Amino acid sequence: MEVYYIPERRSRVKRFAALLVWSALSVGLNAQIALGPTVDTFGVLAGSTVTNSGPTVVLGNLGVSPGTAITGFTGIAPGGPGQVSGTINSANAFALQAQTELTAAYNAAAGAASTATVAGDIGGQTLLAGVYTSTSTLGITGTLTLNAQGNPNAQFIFQIGSALTTATGSAVLLINGAKASNVFWQMGSSATLGTTSTFAGNLLALSSISLGTGAVLQGRALARTGAVTLLSNTITAPAGLSGPPPPLVTPAPSSLILVFTALAGAGVYRSRKRLAKSFKFR
Amino acid sequence: MVEQWSTDEDMSHGFLVPIVILWVVWKDRERWRQLEPQPSWWGFALLAIGACMQFAAALGVGLFAGAVAFLVSIAGAVLCLGGFGWLRALAFPFVLGLFMLPKLAIVYNQATLPLQLLASRIAAGILTSAGIGVIREGNILDVGGHRVLVAEACNGIRYLLSLGFMAVVFGYLCDSKPWVRLAMLAAAVPVAIVANGARVAAAGWLPSIDAGVPHAVAGWLIFVACLAILVVLRHLFDKVYAHYQT
Repeated sequence: MEVYYIPERRSRVKRFAALLVWSALSVGLNAQIALGPTVDTFGVLAGSTVTNSGPTVVLGNLGVSPGTAITGFTGIAPGGPGQVSGTINSANAFALQAQTELTAAYNAAAGAASTATVAGDIGGQTLLAGVYTSTSTLGITGTLTLNAQGNPNAQFIFQIGSALTTATGSAVLLINGAKASNVFWQMGSSATLGTTSTFAGNLLALSSISLGTGAVLQGRALARTGAVTLLSNTITAPAGLSGPPPPLVTPAPSSLILVFTALAGAGVYRSRKRLAKSFKFR
Repeated sequence: MVEQWSTDEDMSHGFLVPIVILWVVWKDRERWRQLEPQPSWWGFALLAIGACMQFAAALGVGLFAGAVAFLVSIAGAVLCLGGFGWLRALAFPFVLGLFMLPKLAIVYNQATLPLQLLASRIAAGILTSAGIGVIREGNILDVGGHRVLVAEACNGIRYLLSLGFMAVVFGYLCDSKPWVRLAMLAAAVPVAIVANGARVAAAGWLPSIDAGVPHAVAGWLIFVACLAILVVLRHLFDKVYAHYQT
Protein backbone atom coordinates (compact mmCIF):
# COMPACT_ATOMS: atom_id res chain seq x y z
CA MET A 1 0.00 0.00 0.00
CA GLU A 2 1.42 3.35 -1.02
CA VAL A 3 1.20 6.39 1.17
CA TYR A 4 0.93 9.80 -0.44
CA TYR A 5 2.13 12.85 1.55
CA ILE A 6 0.32 15.98 0.67
CA PRO A 7 2.60 19.04 1.27
CA GLU A 8 -0.24 21.16 2.72
CA ARG A 9 -1.20 18.46 5.21
CA ARG A 10 2.48 18.03 6.21
CA SER A 11 2.67 21.75 6.89
CA ARG A 12 -0.40 21.56 9.13
CA VAL A 13 1.16 18.70 11.09
CA LYS A 14 4.31 20.78 11.59
CA ARG A 15 2.31 23.76 12.79
CA PHE A 16 0.33 21.57 15.18
CA ALA A 17 3.53 20.04 16.56
CA ALA A 18 5.03 23.51 17.03
CA LEU A 19 1.90 24.58 18.86
CA LEU A 20 2.14 21.57 21.14
CA VAL A 21 5.80 22.32 21.96
CA TRP A 22 5.02 26.00 22.60
CA SER A 23 2.09 25.09 24.84
CA ALA A 24 4.22 22.65 26.82
CA LEU A 25 6.94 25.28 27.24
CA SER A 26 4.42 27.91 28.30
CA VAL A 27 2.94 25.59 30.87
CA GLY A 28 6.43 24.80 32.12
CA LEU A 29 7.40 28.47 32.41
CA ASN A 30 4.20 29.46 34.17
CA ALA A 31 4.04 26.32 36.33
CA GLN A 32 2.48 26.95 39.69
CA ILE A 33 4.60 25.88 42.61
CA ALA A 34 2.69 23.92 45.22
CA LEU A 35 3.70 22.36 48.48
CA GLY A 36 3.03 18.66 48.81
CA PRO A 37 -0.09 17.54 50.68
CA THR A 38 1.88 16.57 53.81
CA VAL A 39 4.18 19.58 54.22
CA ASP A 40 1.15 21.74 53.41
CA THR A 41 -0.31 20.89 56.83
CA PHE A 42 2.78 22.12 58.71
CA GLY A 43 3.20 25.54 60.23
CA VAL A 44 6.73 24.76 61.39
CA LEU A 45 9.14 22.12 60.09
CA ALA A 46 12.83 21.89 60.87
CA GLY A 47 15.72 19.65 59.92
CA SER A 48 17.56 19.60 63.24
CA THR A 49 15.62 21.24 66.10
CA VAL A 50 12.61 23.39 66.91
CA THR A 51 13.23 25.66 69.88
CA ASN A 52 10.66 27.95 71.42
CA SER A 53 10.57 30.51 74.24
CA GLY A 54 7.41 32.31 75.27
CA PRO A 55 3.73 31.86 74.41
CA THR A 56 4.11 30.97 70.75
CA VAL A 57 1.01 29.77 68.88
CA VAL A 58 1.33 27.55 65.82
CA LEU A 59 -1.87 27.00 63.88
CA GLY A 60 -0.98 23.89 61.90
CA ASN A 61 1.30 20.92 62.48
CA LEU A 62 4.81 21.14 63.88
CA GLY A 63 7.63 18.74 63.15
CA VAL A 64 11.31 17.96 62.91
CA SER A 65 13.17 15.44 60.76
CA PRO A 66 15.79 13.98 60.64
CA GLY A 67 16.55 15.70 63.98
CA THR A 68 14.45 14.92 67.03
CA ALA A 69 14.58 17.85 69.46
CA ILE A 70 11.49 19.97 70.00
CA THR A 71 11.53 22.23 73.06
CA GLY A 72 9.21 24.84 74.52
CA PHE A 73 5.84 23.41 73.52
CA THR A 74 2.94 21.97 75.50
CA GLY A 75 2.35 18.35 74.60
CA ILE A 76 5.94 17.22 74.20
CA ALA A 77 8.61 16.74 76.86
CA PRO A 78 9.99 18.80 78.52
CA GLY A 79 6.93 20.98 77.82
CA GLY A 80 6.64 24.72 77.59
CA PRO A 81 4.33 27.64 76.93
CA GLY A 82 4.07 27.15 73.16
CA GLN A 83 0.78 25.87 71.74
CA VAL A 84 0.27 23.86 68.57
CA SER A 85 -3.22 23.46 67.10
CA GLY A 86 -2.22 20.43 65.05
CA THR A 87 0.07 17.51 65.81
CA ILE A 88 3.69 17.53 66.97
CA ASN A 89 5.88 15.21 64.93
CA SER A 90 9.39 14.33 66.00
CA ALA A 91 11.35 12.29 63.47
CA ASN A 92 8.36 10.19 62.51
CA ALA A 93 7.26 9.07 59.04
CA PHE A 94 4.91 12.04 58.72
CA ALA A 95 7.72 14.56 59.33
CA LEU A 96 10.04 12.62 57.02
CA GLN A 97 7.45 12.74 54.22
CA ALA A 98 7.03 16.47 54.85
CA GLN A 99 10.80 16.97 54.52
CA THR A 100 10.79 15.04 51.23
CA GLU A 101 8.02 17.27 49.90
CA LEU A 102 9.81 20.36 51.21
CA THR A 103 12.93 19.42 49.23
CA ALA A 104 10.83 19.04 46.07
CA ALA A 105 9.12 22.42 46.62
CA TYR A 106 12.47 24.06 47.44
CA ASN A 107 14.01 22.76 44.22
CA ALA A 108 10.96 23.80 42.19
CA ALA A 109 11.14 27.33 43.64
CA ALA A 110 14.89 27.53 43.04
CA GLY A 111 14.45 26.32 39.47
CA ALA A 112 11.62 28.66 38.47
CA ALA A 113 12.47 30.97 35.56
CA SER A 114 13.31 34.43 36.92
CA THR A 115 11.25 37.39 35.77
CA ALA A 116 13.07 40.17 37.64
CA THR A 117 16.14 40.85 39.73
CA VAL A 118 16.00 42.42 43.17
CA ALA A 119 18.81 43.43 45.49
CA GLY A 120 19.52 45.00 48.88
CA ASP A 121 16.40 46.15 50.69
CA ILE A 122 13.01 45.77 49.02
CA GLY A 123 11.02 47.43 51.82
CA GLY A 124 8.71 50.19 50.63
CA GLN A 125 8.20 48.58 47.21
CA THR A 126 5.03 47.16 45.66
CA LEU A 127 5.66 44.03 43.62
CA LEU A 128 3.39 42.20 41.20
CA ALA A 129 3.28 38.43 40.71
CA GLY A 130 6.50 36.96 39.37
CA VAL A 131 9.78 35.24 40.15
CA TYR A 132 12.26 37.61 41.80
CA THR A 133 15.91 36.70 42.07
CA SER A 134 18.51 38.06 44.47
CA THR A 135 22.03 36.75 44.05
CA SER A 136 23.02 37.44 47.66
CA THR A 137 21.19 38.63 50.79
CA LEU A 138 17.85 40.37 50.77
CA GLY A 139 16.36 42.69 53.39
CA ILE A 140 12.96 44.18 54.15
CA THR A 141 12.67 47.41 56.13
CA GLY A 142 9.25 49.01 56.40
CA THR A 143 6.46 47.49 54.34
CA LEU A 144 6.76 45.33 51.26
CA THR A 145 3.47 45.13 49.37
CA LEU A 146 2.59 42.18 47.17
CA ASN A 147 -0.19 43.00 44.72
CA ALA A 148 -2.05 40.10 43.06
CA GLN A 149 -4.12 42.47 40.89
CA GLY A 150 -7.24 40.44 41.57
CA ASN A 151 -5.75 37.16 40.38
CA PRO A 152 -6.33 34.54 43.12
CA ASN A 153 -3.67 32.27 41.58
CA ALA A 154 -0.96 34.95 41.44
CA GLN A 155 2.32 33.56 42.77
CA PHE A 156 5.25 35.45 44.18
CA ILE A 157 8.50 33.51 44.26
CA PHE A 158 11.65 35.01 45.79
CA GLN A 159 14.92 33.21 45.02
CA ILE A 160 17.46 34.49 47.54
CA GLY A 161 21.09 33.47 47.14
CA SER A 162 21.90 33.53 50.83
CA ALA A 163 19.91 35.06 53.71
CA LEU A 164 16.66 36.95 54.14
CA THR A 165 16.54 39.47 56.99
CA THR A 166 13.61 41.67 57.98
CA ALA A 167 13.88 44.71 60.21
CA THR A 168 12.09 45.31 63.50
CA GLY A 169 8.43 46.16 62.89
CA SER A 170 8.64 45.48 59.16
CA ALA A 171 5.70 43.98 57.29
CA VAL A 172 4.76 42.07 54.18
CA LEU A 173 1.35 43.28 53.07
CA LEU A 174 -0.84 41.20 50.74
CA ILE A 175 -3.31 43.14 48.62
CA ASN A 176 -5.84 42.59 45.84
CA GLY A 177 -6.29 38.89 46.42
CA ALA A 178 -2.68 37.94 47.15
CA LYS A 179 -2.56 34.83 49.31
CA ALA A 180 0.12 33.86 51.80
CA SER A 181 -0.09 30.31 50.46
CA ASN A 182 1.03 31.60 47.05
CA VAL A 183 4.14 33.41 48.31
CA PHE A 184 7.40 31.43 48.42
CA TRP A 185 10.68 32.64 49.91
CA GLN A 186 13.47 30.27 48.89
CA MET A 187 16.70 31.01 50.76
CA GLY A 188 20.13 29.57 50.01
CA SER A 189 20.95 29.78 53.72
CA SER A 190 18.68 31.24 56.42
CA ALA A 191 15.84 33.60 57.25
CA THR A 192 15.63 35.99 60.20
CA LEU A 193 12.42 37.87 60.93
CA GLY A 194 12.82 41.02 63.01
CA THR A 195 11.14 41.68 66.35
CA THR A 196 7.37 42.38 66.04
CA SER A 197 7.56 42.09 62.27
CA THR A 198 4.57 40.80 60.32
CA PHE A 199 5.49 38.43 57.56
CA ALA A 200 3.53 36.51 54.93
CA GLY A 201 4.46 33.51 52.84
CA ASN A 202 6.18 30.15 52.96
CA LEU A 203 9.76 30.37 54.19
CA LEU A 204 11.74 27.60 52.48
CA ALA A 205 15.23 27.76 53.99
CA LEU A 206 18.12 25.47 53.22
CA SER A 207 19.46 25.81 56.76
CA SER A 208 17.77 27.75 59.57
CA ILE A 209 14.90 30.12 60.36
CA SER A 210 14.72 32.49 63.34
CA LEU A 211 11.72 34.58 64.33
CA GLY A 212 12.32 37.63 66.54
CA THR A 213 10.24 38.31 69.64
CA GLY A 214 6.58 38.82 68.80
CA ALA A 215 7.01 38.33 65.06
CA VAL A 216 3.85 37.15 63.31
CA LEU A 217 4.09 34.78 60.37
CA GLN A 218 1.10 34.18 58.17
CA GLY A 219 2.60 31.23 56.37
CA ARG A 220 5.05 28.47 57.15
CA ALA A 221 8.56 28.26 58.57
CA LEU A 222 10.13 25.28 56.78
CA ALA A 223 13.85 24.58 57.23
CA ARG A 224 15.45 21.69 55.38
CA THR A 225 18.61 21.00 57.39
CA GLY A 226 18.82 23.45 60.30
CA ALA A 227 16.81 24.73 63.23
CA VAL A 228 13.69 26.81 63.59
CA THR A 229 13.89 29.19 66.55
CA LEU A 230 10.75 30.89 67.89
CA LEU A 231 10.23 33.66 70.46
CA SER A 232 6.60 34.39 71.43
CA ASN A 233 5.39 34.21 67.83
CA THR A 234 2.15 33.48 66.05
CA ILE A 235 2.38 31.27 63.00
CA THR A 236 -0.72 30.58 60.97
CA ALA A 237 -0.36 28.01 58.21
CA PRO A 238 -2.58 29.29 55.40
CA ALA A 239 -5.13 27.04 53.80
CA GLY A 240 -3.58 25.15 50.94
CA LEU A 241 -4.08 21.71 49.48
CA SER A 242 -4.94 20.17 52.81
CA GLY A 243 -4.01 22.82 55.35
CA PRO A 244 -6.30 24.19 58.01
CA PRO A 245 -9.72 24.96 56.53
CA PRO A 246 -10.50 28.59 55.81
CA PRO A 247 -12.28 30.20 58.75
CA LEU A 248 -16.03 30.54 58.57
CA VAL A 249 -17.51 34.01 58.54
CA THR A 250 -20.29 34.52 61.05
CA PRO A 251 -22.52 37.51 60.23
CA ALA A 252 -25.64 38.13 62.29
CA PRO A 253 -29.12 38.05 60.70
CA SER A 254 -30.01 41.29 58.90
CA SER A 255 -31.21 44.15 61.09
CA LEU A 256 -34.52 44.16 59.18
CA ILE A 257 -35.30 40.65 60.46
CA LEU A 258 -34.11 41.51 63.96
CA VAL A 259 -36.14 44.72 64.29
CA PHE A 260 -39.20 43.18 62.65
CA THR A 261 -39.09 40.34 65.17
CA ALA A 262 -38.60 42.77 68.01
CA LEU A 263 -41.51 44.97 66.91
CA ALA A 264 -43.76 41.93 66.68
CA GLY A 265 -42.59 40.89 70.14
CA ALA A 266 -43.19 44.37 71.51
CA GLY A 267 -46.70 44.35 70.05
CA VAL A 268 -47.45 41.03 71.73
CA TYR A 269 -45.94 42.26 75.01
CA ARG A 270 -48.05 45.40 74.92
CA SER A 271 -51.24 43.45 74.23
CA ARG A 272 -50.41 40.64 76.68
CA LYS A 273 -53.26 41.43 79.08
CA ARG A 274 -55.84 41.61 76.28
CA LEU A 275 -54.50 38.41 74.76
CA ALA A 276 -54.57 36.65 78.14
CA LYS A 277 -58.17 37.77 78.67
CA SER A 278 -59.31 36.48 75.27
CA PHE A 279 -57.65 33.12 75.94
CA LYS A 280 -59.36 32.88 79.34
CA PHE A 281 -62.71 33.77 77.80
CA ARG A 282 -62.43 30.93 75.33
CA MET B 1 -30.75 56.25 52.28
CA VAL B 2 -33.14 53.74 50.73
CA GLU B 3 -30.31 52.38 48.60
CA GLN B 4 -28.19 51.83 51.70
CA TRP B 5 -31.08 50.17 53.53
CA SER B 6 -31.47 47.75 50.65
CA THR B 7 -27.77 46.97 50.20
CA ASP B 8 -26.37 47.11 53.74
CA GLU B 9 -27.73 44.44 56.08
CA ASP B 10 -26.58 46.50 59.10
CA MET B 11 -28.97 49.23 58.03
CA SER B 12 -31.89 47.30 56.53
CA HIS B 13 -34.00 48.10 59.61
CA GLY B 14 -34.16 51.60 58.08
CA PHE B 15 -37.23 50.45 56.12
CA LEU B 16 -39.11 49.93 59.39
CA VAL B 17 -38.08 53.16 61.09
CA PRO B 18 -40.34 55.51 59.03
CA ILE B 19 -43.26 53.13 59.64
CA VAL B 20 -42.66 53.22 63.39
CA ILE B 21 -42.30 57.03 63.27
CA LEU B 22 -45.61 57.40 61.43
CA TRP B 23 -47.29 55.07 63.92
CA VAL B 24 -45.94 57.08 66.88
CA VAL B 25 -47.10 60.35 65.28
CA TRP B 26 -50.56 58.85 64.68
CA LYS B 27 -50.70 57.42 68.22
CA ASP B 28 -49.90 60.82 69.72
CA ARG B 29 -52.18 62.71 67.36
CA GLU B 30 -54.51 63.91 70.14
CA ARG B 31 -51.57 65.45 72.01
CA TRP B 32 -50.16 67.46 69.13
CA ARG B 33 -53.58 68.31 67.71
CA GLN B 34 -54.45 70.10 70.95
CA LEU B 35 -51.45 72.35 70.53
CA GLU B 36 -52.15 75.77 69.05
CA PRO B 37 -49.99 76.23 65.94
CA GLN B 38 -47.51 79.06 66.53
CA PRO B 39 -45.41 79.25 63.35
CA SER B 40 -41.86 80.36 63.95
CA TRP B 41 -39.48 82.17 61.61
CA TRP B 42 -36.69 80.04 63.09
CA GLY B 43 -38.03 77.25 60.93
CA PHE B 44 -36.67 79.03 57.85
CA ALA B 45 -33.25 79.14 59.49
CA LEU B 46 -33.39 75.36 59.95
CA LEU B 47 -34.58 74.92 56.37
CA ALA B 48 -31.65 77.05 55.18
CA ILE B 49 -29.21 74.97 57.24
CA GLY B 50 -30.76 71.81 55.81
CA ALA B 51 -30.43 73.16 52.27
CA CYS B 52 -26.77 74.08 52.86
CA MET B 53 -26.05 70.61 54.24
CA GLN B 54 -27.78 68.99 51.28
CA PHE B 55 -25.77 71.18 48.92
CA ALA B 56 -22.54 70.18 50.70
CA ALA B 57 -23.59 66.52 50.52
CA ALA B 58 -24.23 66.85 46.79
CA LEU B 59 -20.76 68.39 46.38
CA GLY B 60 -19.24 65.27 47.91
CA VAL B 61 -19.30 65.64 51.70
CA GLY B 62 -21.18 62.37 51.88
CA LEU B 63 -24.44 60.53 52.23
CA PHE B 64 -24.58 61.06 56.00
CA ALA B 65 -24.65 64.86 55.63
CA GLY B 66 -27.47 64.55 53.09
CA ALA B 67 -29.48 62.31 55.41
CA VAL B 68 -29.01 64.69 58.37
CA ALA B 69 -30.06 67.54 56.05
CA PHE B 70 -33.28 65.63 55.40
CA LEU B 71 -34.10 65.43 59.14
CA VAL B 72 -33.08 69.06 59.74
CA SER B 73 -35.32 70.18 56.87
CA ILE B 74 -38.29 68.26 58.28
CA ALA B 75 -37.64 69.85 61.69
CA GLY B 76 -37.53 73.25 59.97
CA ALA B 77 -40.85 72.57 58.23
CA VAL B 78 -42.47 71.55 61.54
CA LEU B 79 -41.14 74.73 63.17
CA CYS B 80 -42.43 76.87 60.30
CA LEU B 81 -45.90 75.35 60.45
CA GLY B 82 -46.49 74.64 64.14
CA GLY B 83 -43.73 76.32 66.12
CA PHE B 84 -41.65 75.07 69.06
CA GLY B 85 -44.65 73.42 70.73
CA TRP B 86 -45.11 71.04 67.82
CA LEU B 87 -41.38 70.42 67.59
CA ARG B 88 -41.29 69.46 71.28
CA ALA B 89 -44.32 67.20 70.81
CA LEU B 90 -42.62 65.48 67.87
CA ALA B 91 -39.23 65.25 69.55
CA PHE B 92 -39.48 61.49 70.07
CA PRO B 93 -40.16 60.68 66.38
CA PHE B 94 -37.11 62.81 65.54
CA VAL B 95 -35.01 60.76 67.98
CA LEU B 96 -36.25 57.61 66.23
CA GLY B 97 -35.31 59.20 62.91
CA LEU B 98 -31.64 59.10 63.98
CA PHE B 99 -31.75 55.30 63.63
CA MET B 100 -32.44 55.50 59.91
CA LEU B 101 -29.41 57.69 59.21
CA PRO B 102 -26.66 55.93 57.27
CA LYS B 103 -23.57 54.84 59.13
CA LEU B 104 -21.07 57.66 59.59
CA ALA B 105 -18.09 56.20 57.72
CA ILE B 106 -15.41 57.87 59.83
CA VAL B 107 -16.91 56.49 63.05
CA TYR B 108 -17.83 53.11 61.57
CA ASN B 109 -14.35 52.54 60.17
CA GLN B 110 -12.74 53.44 63.49
CA ALA B 111 -15.13 51.29 65.52
CA THR B 112 -15.26 48.19 63.31
CA LEU B 113 -11.92 46.57 64.11
CA PRO B 114 -12.09 47.20 67.90
CA LEU B 115 -15.62 45.75 67.92
CA GLN B 116 -14.46 42.71 65.92
CA LEU B 117 -11.62 42.14 68.37
CA LEU B 118 -13.94 42.71 71.35
CA ALA B 119 -16.41 40.12 70.00
CA SER B 120 -13.50 37.69 69.47
CA ARG B 121 -12.23 38.28 73.02
CA ILE B 122 -15.67 37.86 74.56
CA ALA B 123 -16.32 34.69 72.54
CA ALA B 124 -12.93 33.26 73.54
CA GLY B 125 -13.65 34.20 77.17
CA ILE B 126 -17.06 32.50 77.09
CA LEU B 127 -15.61 29.34 75.55
CA THR B 128 -12.68 29.26 77.99
CA SER B 129 -15.05 29.78 80.95
CA ALA B 130 -17.10 26.85 79.67
CA GLY B 131 -13.98 24.69 79.68
CA ILE B 132 -13.67 24.58 75.89
CA GLY B 133 -10.16 25.01 74.52
CA VAL B 134 -9.85 27.88 72.10
CA ILE B 135 -6.95 29.65 70.42
CA ARG B 136 -7.61 33.25 69.47
CA GLU B 137 -5.49 34.76 66.74
CA GLY B 138 -6.71 38.32 66.39
CA ASN B 139 -10.23 37.98 65.04
CA ILE B 140 -9.90 34.26 64.24
CA LEU B 141 -10.98 31.63 66.75
CA ASP B 142 -9.71 28.09 66.49
CA VAL B 143 -11.80 25.66 68.51
CA GLY B 144 -10.18 22.27 68.12
CA GLY B 145 -9.35 22.87 64.47
CA HIS B 146 -12.74 24.43 63.72
CA ARG B 147 -11.93 27.97 62.67
CA VAL B 148 -14.29 30.90 62.87
CA LEU B 149 -13.53 34.34 61.49
CA VAL B 150 -15.13 37.34 63.16
CA ALA B 151 -15.44 39.42 60.00
CA GLU B 152 -16.45 43.04 59.59
CA ALA B 153 -20.09 42.01 59.24
CA CYS B 154 -19.84 40.18 62.58
CA ASN B 155 -18.70 43.19 64.58
CA GLY B 156 -21.99 43.54 66.46
CA ILE B 157 -23.11 46.82 64.90
CA ARG B 158 -26.22 45.02 63.66
CA TYR B 159 -27.21 43.90 67.17
CA LEU B 160 -26.20 47.29 68.56
CA LEU B 161 -28.37 49.34 66.18
CA SER B 162 -31.33 46.95 66.27
CA LEU B 163 -31.31 46.57 70.04
CA GLY B 164 -30.70 50.30 70.62
CA PHE B 165 -33.67 51.14 68.41
CA MET B 166 -35.86 48.59 70.17
CA ALA B 167 -34.77 49.81 73.62
CA VAL B 168 -35.98 53.30 72.73
CA VAL B 169 -39.25 52.04 71.18
CA PHE B 170 -39.88 49.68 74.09
CA GLY B 171 -39.27 52.45 76.61
CA TYR B 172 -41.83 54.55 74.76
CA LEU B 173 -44.39 51.73 74.54
CA CYS B 174 -44.15 51.06 78.26
CA ASP B 175 -44.67 54.74 79.09
CA SER B 176 -41.46 54.68 81.07
CA LYS B 177 -39.91 57.78 82.55
CA PRO B 178 -37.35 59.56 80.34
CA TRP B 179 -34.48 58.40 82.55
CA VAL B 180 -35.68 54.79 82.26
CA ARG B 181 -35.68 55.13 78.47
CA LEU B 182 -32.14 56.48 78.59
CA ALA B 183 -31.05 53.76 81.00
CA MET B 184 -32.50 51.12 78.69
CA LEU B 185 -30.68 52.60 75.71
CA ALA B 186 -27.44 52.59 77.73
CA ALA B 187 -28.07 49.00 78.86
CA ALA B 188 -28.69 47.90 75.28
CA VAL B 189 -25.04 48.62 74.40
CA PRO B 190 -23.34 46.05 76.69
CA VAL B 191 -26.18 43.57 76.18
CA ALA B 192 -25.71 43.75 72.38
CA ILE B 193 -21.93 43.46 72.60
CA VAL B 194 -22.00 40.46 74.95
CA ALA B 195 -24.78 38.84 72.89
CA ASN B 196 -22.69 39.16 69.73
CA GLY B 197 -19.76 37.55 71.53
CA ALA B 198 -22.08 34.73 72.64
CA ARG B 199 -23.26 34.28 69.07
CA VAL B 200 -19.68 33.93 67.83
CA ALA B 201 -18.87 31.56 70.70
CA ALA B 202 -21.86 29.40 69.74
CA ALA B 203 -20.69 29.29 66.12
CA GLY B 204 -17.22 28.25 67.29
CA TRP B 205 -18.45 25.64 69.74
CA LEU B 206 -21.12 23.99 67.60
CA PRO B 207 -19.97 23.44 63.99
CA SER B 208 -23.55 22.41 63.11
CA ILE B 209 -24.78 25.97 63.62
CA ASP B 210 -21.87 27.87 62.13
CA ALA B 211 -23.40 28.55 58.72
CA GLY B 212 -26.59 28.81 56.76
CA VAL B 213 -30.09 28.66 58.22
CA PRO B 214 -29.09 27.12 61.60
CA HIS B 215 -26.62 29.95 62.11
CA ALA B 216 -29.22 32.58 61.22
CA VAL B 217 -31.74 30.97 63.58
CA ALA B 218 -29.15 30.85 66.39
CA GLY B 219 -28.38 34.54 65.85
CA TRP B 220 -32.09 35.33 65.89
CA LEU B 221 -32.69 33.34 69.10
CA ILE B 222 -29.85 35.15 70.83
CA PHE B 223 -31.42 38.44 69.79
CA VAL B 224 -34.76 37.31 71.24
CA ALA B 225 -32.91 36.53 74.47
CA CYS B 226 -31.53 40.10 74.40
CA LEU B 227 -35.08 41.44 74.11
CA ALA B 228 -36.09 39.34 77.12
CA ILE B 229 -33.17 40.84 79.05
CA LEU B 230 -34.40 44.33 78.12
CA VAL B 231 -37.89 43.49 79.42
CA VAL B 232 -36.41 42.27 82.70
CA LEU B 233 -34.23 45.38 82.97
CA ARG B 234 -37.21 47.64 82.39
CA HIS B 235 -39.08 45.98 85.29
CA LEU B 236 -35.95 46.29 87.40
CA PHE B 237 -35.57 49.99 86.60
CA ASP B 238 -39.26 50.61 87.39
CA LYS B 239 -38.90 48.82 90.73
CA VAL B 240 -35.82 50.86 91.60
CA TYR B 241 -37.70 54.02 90.67
CA ALA B 242 -40.74 52.99 92.78
CA HIS B 243 -38.45 52.12 95.68
CA TYR B 244 -36.84 55.56 95.69
CA GLN B 245 -40.22 57.26 95.26
CA THR B 246 -41.54 55.64 98.46
